Amino acid sequence: MSRRLLIMFAVLAMAAIGLGYYALHLKRKVAREEQVATGEQMAVAPSGNGPPEPVTLYVANDSDGTLRRMQVEVALPAERSERSRAVLRSLLAQYLGPSSPHAIGGGSDVRQVYLMGDDTAIVDMNLAFAEAHPAGVLAEELTVASVIVTLNANDSRIGRVKILVNGQERETLAGHADLKRFYEASSIGQIVKDMQ
Amino acid sequence: MSSRRPLAHGCWRLAVALPLATAAAAILIAHYVTADAQSADQLTVYSPQTFYAIPLLDVKGQPYVGLVELLEPLGSVEARSEGRKYRLHFTLPGSRPIEAQFNEGKEKSKVRGSSFFLPANFALQNGRGYVPLSSLPEVLTKLLATPVQLHASAQRLFIGDVAIHFALELDKSASPKLVVSFPSRVNPSIATEPGGVRFTFRREPVVSSGQDNVSFNDPMITGAVFNEHNGLAELDVKATVPLMANFADGGRTIIVSAAPLPPPPAPPAPTPRAEAPAQTAAPTPNLPAAPRFMVLIDPAHGGSDSGASITPSLLEKDVVLALARRVQRELASRGIAVAMLRNSDVTIPLEQRAVAADAARPALYVSLHAANTGRGVHVFTSLLPAANLQRQGFLPWETAQAAFLDLSGTAAGSVAAELEARRLPNATLLAPLRPMNSIAAPAIAVEIAPPDAKVEDIAGAQYQEQVAQSIAAGVAAVRSKLPAVRP
Repeated sequence: MSRRLLIMFAVLAMAAIGLGYYALHLKRKVAREEQVATGEQMAVAPSGNGPPEPVTLYVANDSDGTLRRMQVEVALPAERSERSRAVLRSLLAQYLGPSSPHAIGGGSDVRQVYLMGDDTAIVDMNLAFAEAHPAGVLAEELTVASVIVTLNANDSRIGRVKILVNGQERETLAGHADLKRFYEASSIGQIVKDMQ
Repeated sequence: MSSRRPLAHGCWRLAVALPLATAAAAILIAHYVTADAQSADQLTVYSPQTFYAIPLLDVKGQPYVGLVELLEPLGSVEARSEGRKYRLHFTLPGSRPIEAQFNEGKEKSKVRGSSFFLPANFALQNGRGYVPLSSLPEVLTKLLATPVQLHASAQRLFIGDVAIHFALELDKSASPKLVVSFPSRVNPSIATEPGGVRFTFRREPVVSSGQDNVSFNDPMITGAVFNEHNGLAELDVKATVPLMANFADGGRTIIVSAAPLPPPPAPPAPTPRAEAPAQTAAPTPNLPAAPRFMVLIDPAHGGSDSGASITPSLLEKDVVLALARRVQRELASRGIAVAMLRNSDVTIPLEQRAVAADAARPALYVSLHAANTGRGVHVFTSLLPAANLQRQGFLPWETAQAAFLDLSGTAAGSVAAELEARRLPNATLLAPLRPMNSIAAPAIAVEIAPPDAKVEDIAGAQYQEQVAQSIAAGVAAVRSKLPAVRP
């Protein structure tokens, strides 16, 4: 075998070892990130430093397909988008509790709420919110409606809402409810009336 | 030299291993890429009542067919697996239930109490029962008590006396014409191409007339070739000149003739002529087709998109396909034309569903769903603000439904009233459901939930039949209010 061929094989072998090491490194990195994300997802309890304030939640009920208005006390931050996030986390806490009236994906959380202009909110949910959500027209509609109408009930200036998943636009929540569009809180209010 | 040998030996191993690894990776990628294409193999089934296609499953290199998918369009099916046993109850409309039993990994089976042997072992996968394709004539003849013919290589199955034979006759005049006659109306797709014209029969059970390759000894129309493959039939008419095809006799005759030559270029200026103008044939008025009332049923999900898991073994895609077939039968029994957006377990993306629905121009679009949230039946219309849009011409893709909300609401109300009349729990709601917003026709979605605490009852024949009758009766009641559409 020629010397040139030997060198080529040696280089290829080194490249293969290098790529293998890099793949192992990437695998460990992904595992670490998943671990961190899971830790974040577990922390669904509302966070805030202020004194507890009354918050209105519209809580879905799977047994009869309704949305029910309820009041809870939540410590809310001062900043507007953080307040909305805390409100939504307290809504999700209702769904993730042991006596949940409405099933959503385990580990669901609100990553961030962005306010655009005065009246538009972009809600960024985590991946578990969509990936583990039970599929169904009514089940998904109840979730979407409760998120939007709860936001509007606690900040009446929020008139338009769009839901992202893990920072990305998504076609549907779990195969049915449209997540590509902006929702008008007023039209969701009509659904809520029908569902009460 | 001896010290270099082990290294060289290792290099040769590498030299062999690297191409092998590359080839293996290529084979794996090729297998992954082509897996979907292979699974797209389908069997086309023709029966006196309906036409449908079902997927073929590859089991140890042999094509197999799902029993429930095969029988559901023909009647009511209830199947359950108990360990390695698979029991099936099949009921033809107006008949008594027929019981069949199969055993996983065994050839011995039983229909109507009498035993017989399949040509290969029965297969169970994820609680679904599959029989070899080649066993269908025997299995179906026993179940349906009617003759069944299988064209295995062409993947076509004929239940009962449905086959359509055709006759060819060449009229050798100055302008030769090939007359293709059928005993009933046909509607093939026609493709003209250099050297002939091709008729493709997918929906019609057209079969060979005995001569699959005919020569006409004519300088213009030279021959015709018939063949069947991939669940369809094709008739190729060969010619040395461009051909055109015309339908006659209510669609039972196709006349193939030479296409007229293109008109000569127009003269630069009209020349006044003293003599009388030559007689020319009056142009045939291009009459639009008559408006027709057609309901398009869209059984949601399918293929890789299973939809909701009602139970671990009961998927939304299967529940709604069974319901869709019942709705189809109920509508047809009321004299309403029906089309199904899918009639087998295939994946259709949401956008593609809207495109197909809008292209079909239905009088009503009905999307069917199933879930285990709540009880009874929910009837949905689109959550869009009403818009006074023109229903003619172009409509915005994302809000096309806005122009039809009134009619959609009328249809939903009528279906809900029929559900109420049958004492089925129901509610009418607005929903942000995809792809309803892009449907340019009156549109409703129906989601069924279990009727009682027993979740499996969602797939029960009695419950599904009641829901199907309600939908069909509701649609029939508003037929006069929904505009028929020109195809």
